[in-house]
Amino acid sequence: MRRLLFAGALVVAVCVAFVGWRTVGVLSSDTFTESKAKPPEAAPLCPWREPETDLKAFFPDATRYHGETRILSGLRLELSERLGRPPTGDENALRVNRAYRNEIPLGSILTRRVKGDYGAIELVLVTDTNRNVRGLRLQRLREPEPIASALQDPKWLGSFVGKRAEDLWRPGKDMPDVPPEAQSSAGAVIDGVRSLLILLTAADESQTKNLAEAHHR
Amino acid sequence: MFLLAFRNLIRRPLRNGLTVAGLAIAVAVLVCLSSFGNGYKRALSAEVDRMGVQLMLVPLGCPYDAAARVLKGRALEFSLPESALAEARRDAAVAVAVAAPLLLAALPRPQAGRADMWAGIDESALELKPWWQAKAGQKWFLNEHSAILGADAAEVELRSPGDRLYSPEAQYELRVAGVLQRSGTSDDSLFFVPLKTAQQMFKLPGRLTAVAIRLHDPSLLRAASARLQRIPGAQVVTLTEMMGTFLNLVGAVRTLLFSIALVAIAISVLSVFNTLLAAVLERTGELSVMRAIGASRWQILGLITTEAVLLTGLGSIGGILLALFVGRGIENLVKELVPLAPEQSLLSPTTNILLETAAMGIVMGVLGGLYPAWRACRHHPAEALKAE
Repeated sequence: MRRLLFAGALVVAVCVAFVGWRTVGVLSSDTFTESKAKPPEAAPLCPWREPETDLKAFFPDATRYHGETRILSGLRLELSERLGRPPTGDENALRVNRAYRNEIPLGSILTRRVKGDYGAIELVLVTDTNRNVRGLRLQRLREPEPIASALQDPKWLGSFVGKRAEDLWRPGKDMPDVPPEAQSSAGAVIDGVRSLLILLTAADESQTKNLAEAHHR
Repeated sequence: MFLLAFRNLIRRPLRNGLTVAGLAIAVAVLVCLSSFGNGYKRALSAEVDRMGVQLMLVPLGCPYDAAARVLKGRALEFSLPESALAEARRDAAVAVAVAAPLLLAALPRPQAGRADMWAGIDESALELKPWWQAKAGQKWFLNEHSAILGADAAEVELRSPGDRLYSPEAQYELRVAGVLQRSGTSDDSLFFVPLKTAQQMFKLPGRLTAVAIRLHDPSLLRAASARLQRIPGAQVVTLTEMMGTFLNLVGAVRTLLFSIALVAIAISVLSVFNTLLAAVLERTGELSVMRAIGASRWQILGLITTEAVLLTGLGSIGGILLALFVGRGIENLVKELVPLAPEQSLLSPTTNILLETAAMGIVMGVLGGLYPAWRACRHHPAEALKAE
């Protein structure tokens, strides 16, 4: 009788697991972003639209990349201090794409939506293994022409290279100035890049700390 | 006899358990598929009723494709003259209550890897969209340069009322007047603008994608359809016809899935057959002793048949419970397969469906148990005991 119960339970468990997997698959993006209850500022997860092109451009010798999701909800207090504001809902998790040449890590690629003046601006931020900015690309924006040109100016985008989370990011001082009509959207991009670097730093430091604790045990 | 049959079954728990589980899965699939047939029809009717549209004027071409695209908020390659709207509204004989013009445009954004979906509408659209509720701001345009955003569109573009919105392709600047509550329809991902603005943005002055029509009296559908059909450059598609087309498509999918479910049931029946035959061969001596001490052939036949009924009965009950328990998950799978899947639940198991499926499972199982039962009652007691 026990064996019968075991066999029955096994079959039911397999069915439930399969159906559950399909159900979660359908709901996962909603559940993950919690987007329905959030104000627009807490953006839904931003997709990385052209991974192959970006990898070729920023890490030409990369052979592969691997995506990982880091949960940061346990670091809200620390993040509030570093960001200078409470983290938004979407900052509870960070999707990090690590680029590798075979098994050697080359850096990370992060994406984020920020609120531009005329619509969302999607950033692709590339860092090296020390979390210095290696490059920045705007994968999508809907700003009118003068603003779009200013934001996509290679000189302006290039000014992010080498920056770290703890650096100063003052527009016009630490960052090159942009035309007045582009200042608001440029500010959103700068804030988005800085926030991403802070989140990445916190995620990496937390991982190092956890590994060290595990090693001690 | 019932107790004896039950005891015989639990003597081989693993083998019989697996047989019951296999049958349960097959029955569960059958219950779900039968329920989806009913549920899809009911949900589609409810969705069409909720839209309040009985007819649609679309440009010449495949009417079903055109109507499906409009319902899903997708753009059409062709357009209607705006005069079609005026003619439809003028036609008192067909008693048009609401004729809502639509101009849908998909603006591809290859750089962004997506297409912006814009819909130009006028005030009559509000009469056809009773579910429209503003989540923030207004539910209607403040002026010709304002836009209303669906819930998903606002979320993706990080827009709230008062924000600016720019279309780089149309080079048109708008101000967000409101954000709609999530409705579960294609409206969620659309940017709505006033009809005239849309015509100006997409350089289609005086053109429409479709006209959605609600009649005062739905019984005038046939006459209305015949009259509207005469409007030049336009053709009429009734939602009933369209629903029928979708139901046919779903019927084809359902037949295919039914065939798979029936194959699964047939395999389960073979499994019952195999289980009972093995049990009969194992218990040759025991059955012979029963015969020797006075059990008739009918009693032996009855015993094995009862075992078959118990086995398939348990499988059928298990399958029904499984269907009720995991039906929602299977529904998600089915929704990916069917065209124009309604947002509402498709799972609608009726008592008839449950009884029919259970009866079918049991009958098939009994058929599978007939040969083992016949074989069991054919044992000659003396020969069998001699062999022992």
